[in-house]
Amino acid sequence: MTSATVGVRRGRAKGSPLARRRRRVFGPFLAPALILYTVLFMVPTGYSFYASFTSWDGFSNPRWKGTLNYDHLTHDPAFKDAFFNTLKLLFGCGIFLFVLSFAFMLMLREMKGRRFIQGFIFLPHIVSGVALAAFWDFLLNHDGMLNKGLHSFGLGPVDWLKPQWQFNAILLAIVWINTGYYVTILMAGVDRIPPYYYEEAKLAGTNSWQRFRHITLPMSWDVVGTAAVLWTIGTVKIFEFILAFSGSQGNLPTTNQWTSAMYVYGETIGGTSPIYDFGRACAGAVVTLVAVVVVVVVLRRVTSRDRLEL
Amino acid sequence: MSTATTGSRAESAAQDPRTPAAAPAGRRRVPWARLPGAALIWLFVAFCAFTFLFILLSSLKSSYNVLNHPFGLPTELKFSNWSRAWHDGGFGPAFVNSALVVVAAAAGTVLLASPAAYVLGRNQNRLSGGVSMYFVLGLGIPMQIIVLPLYSIMAKAHLIDNLAGLIVLYIVVNLPFTVYLLMSFFASLPGELEEAAALDGVGPGMTFWRIMLPLARGGLMTALTLVAIACWNETFLALMFLQTNDNFTLPLALVNFLTQQQFTGEDFGVMFAGVSIAVLPMLALYAWLGRRITEGLTLGAGK
Repeated sequence: MTSATVGVRRGRAKGSPLARRRRRVFGPFLAPALILYTVLFMVPTGYSFYASFTSWDGFSNPRWKGTLNYDHLTHDPAFKDAFFNTLKLLFGCGIFLFVLSFAFMLMLREMKGRRFIQGFIFLPHIVSGVALAAFWDFLLNHDGMLNKGLHSFGLGPVDWLKPQWQFNAILLAIVWINTGYYVTILMAGVDRIPPYYYEEAKLAGTNSWQRFRHITLPMSWDVVGTAAVLWTIGTVKIFEFILAFSGSQGNLPTTNQWTSAMYVYGETIGGTSPIYDFGRACAGAVVTLVAVVVVVVVLRRVTSRDRLEL
Repeated sequence: MSTATTGSRAESAAQDPRTPAAAPAGRRRVPWARLPGAALIWLFVAFCAFTFLFILLSSLKSSYNVLNHPFGLPTELKFSNWSRAWHDGGFGPAFVNSALVVVAAAAGTVLLASPAAYVLGRNQNRLSGGVSMYFVLGLGIPMQIIVLPLYSIMAKAHLIDNLAGLIVLYIVVNLPFTVYLLMSFFASLPGELEEAAALDGVGPGMTFWRIMLPLARGGLMTALTLVAIACWNETFLALMFLQTNDNFTLPLALVNFLTQQQFTGEDFGVMFAGVSIAVLPMLALYAWLGRRITEGLTLGAGK
């Protein structure tokens, strides 16, 4: 494999037949994907930056209005809710999720039936958030399953979905949905650690905490970092669970349960009376993107600090 | 390296961490300390299993029984829930739409991504490195930032409320991940066959089509499956771009049904039949390709 790669590289400089052939198809093979991706992904991204400085309804041409959209965002309660809820998901949910996933991963490594367990806890990740929301709502509703269960123990119904608790119910559900996925990622990372490290550490008389502290943690640090980046990117996509869980009668959820994606939907074509404020929604999306980039850069810095090469 | 690994494997089998002889001091404490953790894990597993069992069983119960005996088994099997969800709830046409969109989008994505991933994965130079980075960039861009300009573009092309338009969008948003996944897959394939084909005078297109694609079959299957799952469950774009019930995909039909039910009084049996229609194909796919799905997702993530 290595020699082949070297051969190809050296050959390329001279123009070996293989390399020349590959270069001939480089353009045609790449072009369709590259053009589609550029036109319908990267150009819109750029256009959103421009549109965030305009007044735009999505149909007629945008009119320039400087930073007014951004000024508006700073005292738009709906955006503040959306932004802080996204941060709550990112950090509050995130820390809980990672501690839980890491603990599960460590315990699962030494448990029997590990494949079976992993298979089950991964399940919620592959089905629609809307379907899970329907179940979750039935579970926590006033007449729902949890209260029915409590009733049989003679306990009164609890209003699980009262306004100040409802977003916490969402946070809990998001942790439940994602735990299996992150356990699997962390597991894949930790499984790469060569077992002889543990053998040698055991011979040196370490206990399991020391082995965790000095082998598992430093050697899986980069996987934790990657998983954290994935989570950061993933949180801003959380949308349909909240829509289906908290929306009612064709209306959007109240703004105190909005997230970034909900803001874009709500400020434009969502709800029973759409607002069509595409410019402001673009500004909201740009702020979200900037926040994601900042968090990703910081995470990369922090986690690459003591990355180890195997 | 390889001998060391084999050696240590043999050793670790000899003194498996589970066998108490390995750590006499901690023999009694460790299992007890693990007990709450293991209990928590099994509780979690039980909840996941319960969720899906509950959904499937409730789909066969009367609304009264779902509500009043949520933990009981169905007393009679109400298959009429399913037919009512399929015909009256709009899940039938939505199922057909979803299937159509998913198949076309998954096939289209892989068809576009695999040649690109092939040349990017097997050419190691600055140009391919740069283009790869350009694709990877898309992984970090949230959908809400592209969706509004896209809405304008699609409106001008008269592709709003149009399944073909949605398919194009699904292909586009799945391209970055698929290119990335297949790129690492093609890069990991051995080059000898490709070189042999070149020496035999097989054209580069043919080499890709006849040699590299079959070799990458596992990766292509994984990519197809992952795109299919993503599209089957996708809600945000569908909600932005589809308007009439006839065009709704399953997640939209479900949202629609849930909100309608709040007006008409809920029939929980029919509701869970609808949920089942949306969930069952994914459960079946997962039962069939479970390992491949999780491995694909971690491979895409683990770099």
